[in-house]
Amino acid sequence: MSYAYLFKYIIIGDTGVGKSCLLLQFTDKRFQPVHDLTIGVEFGARMITIDGKQIKLQIWDTAGQESFRSITRSYYRGAAGALLVYDITRRDTFNHLTTWLEDARQHSSSNMVIMLIGNKSDLEARREVKKEEGEAFAREHGLIFMETSAKTAANVEDAFIDTAKEIYEKIQEGVFDINNEANGIKIGPQHSPSSSGGSGGRPRPQADGGGCC
Amino acid sequence: MAFIQWRRFNFFNKQPAFVNGSVPGRTWNTIKENNFLCSTCGRGFLLFGDSQGYIHFVNNSFQVISSFRAFEIVVTHLFQLKQHHMLAGVGVDEEGINPVIRVWNLDKRDKLGNPFCCRVQPTIPASNVPTEVTVFAVHENLSLMAVGFTQGSIVVYKGDIAKDRLTNKTIHLTTDVVEPITGLSFYSIGKTPYLFASTERCVMSFNLQDKVAKKNVLDNRGCPLHCSMMSNAELDNQFVITATDAVYLYLPDSRGPCFVFEGEKVLARWYNGYLILVYKDRSKGSVPSTSTMRMPDKNMVTIYDMKQKLIAYSSPLPGVQEVLYEWGSVFVLTADNNLICLQEIDIHQKLEMLFKKNLYSLAVNLAKSQDLGKEGLIDIFKQYGDHLYSKGDYDTAIIQYIKTIGHLEPSYIIRKFLDAQRIHNLTTYLEALHGRGLANEDHTTLLLNCFTKLKDVKNLNKFIMTPHTELHFDVETAIRVCRQAGYYEHALQLAEKHSKHKWYLKIQLEDAREYSKALSYIRKLPFTEAENTIKQYGKVLVHNVPREATQLLKTLCTDYQPTEESNVGGSSTRLKSTAKSNGEEFIHIFVNSPNMLVEFLEHLIKVEGKASATVCNTLLEIYLHKMNQTDSMKEKASLEEKTLKLLEDMSSKKYETDQALVLCQMLNFKRGILYLYEAAGLYQQILRYHMDHETYGLVVETCRRHGDKDKTLWQHALTYFAQQRDVDCKQYITQVLTHIDKHDLLPPLLVIQLLSRNPSATLAVVKDYILRRIRQETEEINKYEQSIAGYREETEKMKTNIHELKTSATIFQETKCSLCNHDLELPTVHFLCQHSYHQHCFESYAENEDECPVCTGHNRKIMENLREQEQALASSLDLQRQFASQLKTSRDGFSVIADYFSKGVFNKLTLLSDMEKSPGNSRVPSGGASLIDPSLQKELLMMQQANMT
Repeated sequence: MSYAYLFKYIIIGDTGVGKSCLLLQFTDKRFQPVHDLTIGVEFGARMITIDGKQIKLQIWDTAGQESFRSITRSYYRGAAGALLVYDITRRDTFNHLTTWLEDARQHSSSNMVIMLIGNKSDLEARREVKKEEGEAFAREHGLIFMETSAKTAANVEDAFIDTAKEIYEKIQEGVFDINNEANGIKIGPQHSPSSSGGSGGRPRPQADGGGCC
Repeated sequence: MAFIQWRRFNFFNKQPAFVNGSVPGRTWNTIKENNFLCSTCGRGFLLFGDSQGYIHFVNNSFQVISSFRAFEIVVTHLFQLKQHHMLAGVGVDEEGINPVIRVWNLDKRDKLGNPFCCRVQPTIPASNVPTEVTVFAVHENLSLMAVGFTQGSIVVYKGDIAKDRLTNKTIHLTTDVVEPITGLSFYSIGKTPYLFASTERCVMSFNLQDKVAKKNVLDNRGCPLHCSMMSNAELDNQFVITATDAVYLYLPDSRGPCFVFEGEKVLARWYNGYLILVYKDRSKGSVPSTSTMRMPDKNMVTIYDMKQKLIAYSSPLPGVQEVLYEWGSVFVLTADNNLICLQEIDIHQKLEMLFKKNLYSLAVNLAKSQDLGKEGLIDIFKQYGDHLYSKGDYDTAIIQYIKTIGHLEPSYIIRKFLDAQRIHNLTTYLEALHGRGLANEDHTTLLLNCFTKLKDVKNLNKFIMTPHTELHFDVETAIRVCRQAGYYEHALQLAEKHSKHKWYLKIQLEDAREYSKALSYIRKLPFTEAENTIKQYGKVLVHNVPREATQLLKTLCTDYQPTEESNVGGSSTRLKSTAKSNGEEFIHIFVNSPNMLVEFLEHLIKVEGKASATVCNTLLEIYLHKMNQTDSMKEKASLEEKTLKLLEDMSSKKYETDQALVLCQMLNFKRGILYLYEAAGLYQQILRYHMDHETYGLVVETCRRHGDKDKTLWQHALTYFAQQRDVDCKQYITQVLTHIDKHDLLPPLLVIQLLSRNPSATLAVVKDYILRRIRQETEEINKYEQSIAGYREETEKMKTNIHELKTSATIFQETKCSLCNHDLELPTVHFLCQHSYHQHCFESYAENEDECPVCTGHNRKIMENLREQEQALASSLDLQRQFASQLKTSRDGFSVIADYFSKGVFNKLTLLSDMEKSPGNSRVPSGGASLIDPSLQKELLMMQQANMT
């Protein structure tokens, strides 16, 4: 399917906060109550439309466990957006946000749009982290904030799409260099400014080695 | 660091590739001693290349089907194409020269009966120095082959791999590395072929679309030999490398996911969704051998199911050389050339294992991926549900049970959840059942009961408000249940939505008691239904919301047809049109609210113009009752006015007033009775009424008013007064007598007779009358005597005349002809009547010769009269005689009289001559009491009176 832009996202946060479930809800629109631990990095993709343009979101869902950190970290690079997820029913996941944020800022492009997500908003009865706290944290660190529920799908769509909108705006403002794939943004095949060599149909892999590695 | 791993199962059974001794021909054991350097599989065979340059074909019974010498010295690489019966291999024909690629078409045989070798391609790296080939790959589209060399170069052969052609091209790819290529794989996206290559330190891809291949370095980590391959479509056909820390996947232009399977791997294979990794035995920590395939000691073989994310098998096996996959089983070639078969257990066994571990969701996924079919899945859901149920996790259990809807009998589940504490779950299930349209009446009842028990008004609302097309349930049941549970509002909503008017009203009226709402609901209904419902519930409505209900009834009876005029007489009891109700049918509704009824009926009469008799009568009755009940004079008067107006109305419209009369009589409404009598012309009744009430003045008054219409009134009055023995009623008698006298209504004799009965009636009372009468009579007698004398005289004259005519001569002195009035001339004709004619005149006029033409008409008339008189006399006499005799003999005198009355016995015998002479004197007989003979008349009068009282 053709798209105008491809945005690369990563989802990070402590283990068990519901990162994979968020992704599953966003890409497959379903919820799996029993989800196996993610070991490593998995990814999903979905098309969305912003401002009448088709945008492909390529989302990297990382393992939250500390032991995987060294591997998952290498996937931060080249992400245009990050969803930093904590669990509103577990305060420690909120407390770890600073570490995650530092990690993400350190290993990714400075322009990366980060959205803070308090997940499991359906479990209001077991809430440990107030919404206001999340808001305060987001304000302090210049993040967008939202509480979601992967189970009920509340705000899930918005979380991903709002991030995409933010990125899209930054592109319009010229903050992102869209020709540098290290920013996690790729121009779709038909929008490619330099369609050289008649390699239609699919974006050519960059030969300059400056890609995402 | 201990990494978390996927769940571990034993989905494969390990068994040695047992070779049955009885199998004829060469078996695996016969070639076991060879040194296998490479192997491949697919298309029904396991293929092994050995260090002697032979390739062996082994079938599923482990027979060696064939072996042939492929290369002179050694076979190092084999590649069995999956979609074509072609085999490609790399080997050495001669020491010191470049290895050679050979391609065989397995469908063809050469002269020796060996597979036909269709291409031989020496492999020459860019450096042109004979170099060892490390990896070899063939594109399934048969147009690309690639070899990787130890010093880092890759050569791609473009063009039909089965033919040596000049058009075939050899492309040397620049890798910028000087280390052995450890992996090569082709993959095409659309028509663009890509080649993935890996070394121990990097991963790259080449786009082979253009003449100059474009390199894309994907990662700067790599993998050892035998540790890279393509994944299958389920993981997007990515290039897989298995590094020590993890398994990484790559797309032609970017990185893909990674799986952290930690450990040093010596071999990795991807077959049919399974990733098979052979780990170096960590416990021994042995150094990897430099020899390509010889592995020391024990290895850990782990089979990962990449889709279900589980470890399907994991077991240490001695020195794994190669892992192959054919016939649904994994074959492991061990260091000592034993084949170990890892046979996958079937899905049912797998599921059983999962069930034992209560891993139902996994079971579901597995069953789905293996196309177990609906029934199998349902069974899993049920077991899952049962398991959760037994664990007490009812919420989740019900989710599973819901998935069985349509296959599993709902009662099985319902029974489990009937407990009051699980009613939430039951509700969920039943809702789902309804959502699928599989619910029956009982289910609906149960669900609604659940809602009501839970007091879950919100869901109840939702359920009820769902469009019927989406949710199928029996509406009536639903209404009934809601009603029983006291959720009238919901029941009402349901009823309203589904136009169950009866239910709606029943609930509204009987339960909710929202009368005005019910009423406004009725107003919305189409006419016939509104009519029916109001008939049913009108009473309640009128009782509770009298004003509005009456208003509705009024409109029902009028507004629907503005021009309603029927020619039906007094009784308009039929329903005249569909659009207008018959007011009568509603009357009973007002049984307890007379005031409203009055209003209603008045309206009816007003608008309808021709309201039915029943309506009028009913209204009348109410008026009368009210009149009797009320004490206020003012009210009474106004009611009287109303009643009279009604009566007037009724009689003006020619209704049967009998009932009205009865009503008036029953309730003693004097004015009404009188009015009705009068209207009906029953003057006698009026008279009688007054008589009964002894209002003498009124008796006379009545007689005076109606006497000219019925003269007998006077007679009755007289009779009445005559009978009033105790009361002095001379005055009235005088009045009556005066009148009777004036109009000559009774023969004096009768008057006397009547009055003689009354002792109080003295002679003084009648003196005047009698005197007057006598005088009158006398006058009359005189008159008659005079006329008798006149007649006698006349007769005498006539007699003398006749005599004269008979005896003396007659002198005809006429000078003129009676016809032509000219002077008589002879011949003439003379008559005794003193008429004379010219003969010619007489002849031309006379009808016969004997009669005088002038007198003929007169004479003939007289003659006829005479004859008639005689006849009439005769017949009447005859009749009277007959009547008299019959009256005497008959027992039922009255019937005889009646009979003869009709025959005209009592008619006055009038003489025509009389009539001519004195028409003023003659009386037209009226009624039955005419004058025949006073005694008879008297008798008749008595009889009439007896009959009437």
